[in-house]
Amino acid sequence: VDAVLKEHLERVTGVDWAPNSNRIVTCAGDRNAYVWNFQPETGEWQPCLVLLRINRAATYVRWSPQEDRFAVGSGARLLSVCYFDPENNWWVSKHIKKPIRSTILCVDWHPSNYLLAVGSCDFKCRVFSAALKELSDKPETSAWMPRLSKFGTLLAEFSTTSGWVHGVKFSPSGNKLAWVSHDSSVNVVDMNSQDKILTLLTSFLPYTCVLWLSEASFAAAGHDNCPDLYNVSSDEVVYGARLDIKKEKTTDSNMSAMARFQKLDDLGATETGTKLYTTHVNCITEMRVVATTGDKIKKFSTAGKDGKLVIWEVDALCSKIAGLKI
Amino acid sequence: MSKNVNSTQFRTVDVDAYDEDQYEDDARDDESGVQEVADRASQVKQLLNQTKSKDALKLALQNPPLGHKDSNVKQQNYETVLSVLKSFRAQEIDAAVEDLSNVEVDVLMKYLYKGFTANPDKSASLLLWHERAVKKGGLGSIIRVMVDRKGV
Repeated sequence: VDAVLKEHLERVTGVDWAPNSNRIVTCAGDRNAYVWNFQPETGEWQPCLVLLRINRAATYVRWSPQEDRFAVGSGARLLSVCYFDPENNWWVSKHIKKPIRSTILCVDWHPSNYLLAVGSCDFKCRVFSAALKELSDKPETSAWMPRLSKFGTLLAEFSTTSGWVHGVKFSPSGNKLAWVSHDSSVNVVDMNSQDKILTLLTSFLPYTCVLWLSEASFAAAGHDNCPDLYNVSSDEVVYGARLDIKKEKTTDSNMSAMARFQKLDDLGATETGTKLYTTHVNCITEMRVVATTGDKIKKFSTAGKDGKLVIWEVDALCSKIAGLKI
Repeated sequence: MSKNVNSTQFRTVDVDAYDEDQYEDDARDDESGVQEVADRASQVKQLLNQTKSKDALKLALQNPPLGHKDSNVKQQNYETVLSVLKSFRAQEIDAAVEDLSNVEVDVLMKYLYKGFTANPDKSASLLLWHERAVKKGGLGSIIRVMVDRKGV
C-alpha cells in the first residue's frame, strides 16, 4: 500500500485519477469531494475540499479529458461540474439540474472536453453542454451541439425501455454513445442519426459498466461477473463473445452409481450448479483502460464486488477466442 | 365556546401535486387498445378451435396492452394468453417457444409471472412454460419483467 487518503467521513463512491496533471478526485456519501495533489517533497497527497453544494450523497466522479474540470453525479438529482478558480484558490461547482429527475449513476466526458453524457435512475441517458466561459472554452458546433449552447443546456435525451442507466460511454472519436441499463439492454446511438437508437435486449443479467475497445466494438460487464464483447455496425449492435473462458472442470466422475442416484433423489439433479467459471466471482462494477498503443486499447482492467482487480489483455483474448473481432 | 372562524380551506389543497421531488412516469395512458384486444380474443379462439395452437400463441402475444388504464382490458388479454398456454400439451411447448421471436418471449414471460401471482398454487403448467422460455430468453427476459414499470 503506497498511501492512504483519509479524509472522507462516509463511504467513498467514486475515484478518478488524472494521468497528466497527477491529481486524484474522490467523492463520497458525505456529500463532499476532495481533489488530492501529490507533494513530491513529502511524498504525501494533500487534500483540497470541493464544495459541491449537494444535499444528497455523491455517486460518481470523472475528470474531463483535459483535466481542467470534473463532473460529480449525485443522489440530489443534479450534476456538479467543478473547475479551479485561481483567484480564490479553490474549486467552484456549477450545477446542471433540469431535467434530471432521479439519482445520477454515471457520467462520461466527450473528447472535446465540453460535452457530457449522463445516465440516471430516471431511465434516461442525456447529453449536456458543459462549456464554461470561465475557462475560456471555445466550443465548436457539431452533430451533438448544432447551435452553440451555454452551460447546462440539454442537447439530447434518450430513453431506454425501462431500467436504470448504469454505464454510459462515448466512443473514442466521440461520434457514438453507448449505454447499458438495468433491463439487460445495451444501446448505441450515432450523433448523426440521433433518432435511431440501436438497442439489443440481451439474455444476460444487467451490465453495470461499458468500455469502448475500438470505434466499432465495446465491452460490457456487470452482474454476470465477466466482460462481454459487442460489435457495432451502422444498423445494429451484435453480441460478439464472452471474454472470460475458464476451463470448465468436467463433472466428478468418481461418484459411485449409488451416490449419483441418491443425489438425484435428494436434489433432483446429479450436479449442483454452484461452481462459478468466471474469473470474477461477484458483480463487476468498473472497467478502465490500462494501456493503449495509438488508439487501440491493449489492456483494460475490471474491478468487482469480490474485491478482485483483473487486467485483461486484448491480444491474448483475440488469440484465445476464435473469430473475435475488435 | 369559541367558534373556529378561520378558514380551513388549506385542508383541501393537494400537497403532493406541488411536491417537486415527486417522480412521474412518462404518461402513456393507452385508451386505444380495447377493440384490438377484443378482436384478438375472438381470433385466438378461432385458431384454437382449428387446433392451430402455434399460430394462436403468436397472435396472442402481439401488442400487449401495456400500462392500459382499464384493468378489464388487461385482464381480457391475460385470459386470452392463458387459454392458449393451457391448450398446449407438454411435448409441444418446446417447439412452440423455439418459434417465438425475442420480443414475443419477453411478452410471454410477463404473462407467466402475472399467472404466477394470480394463481400461485395452480401454476404447474406455467412453470413448464417458464423453464422453456428461460432457455430461450435467458435471465435477461426475467429481468425485463421485474424492471417493467407498465404492467402487462
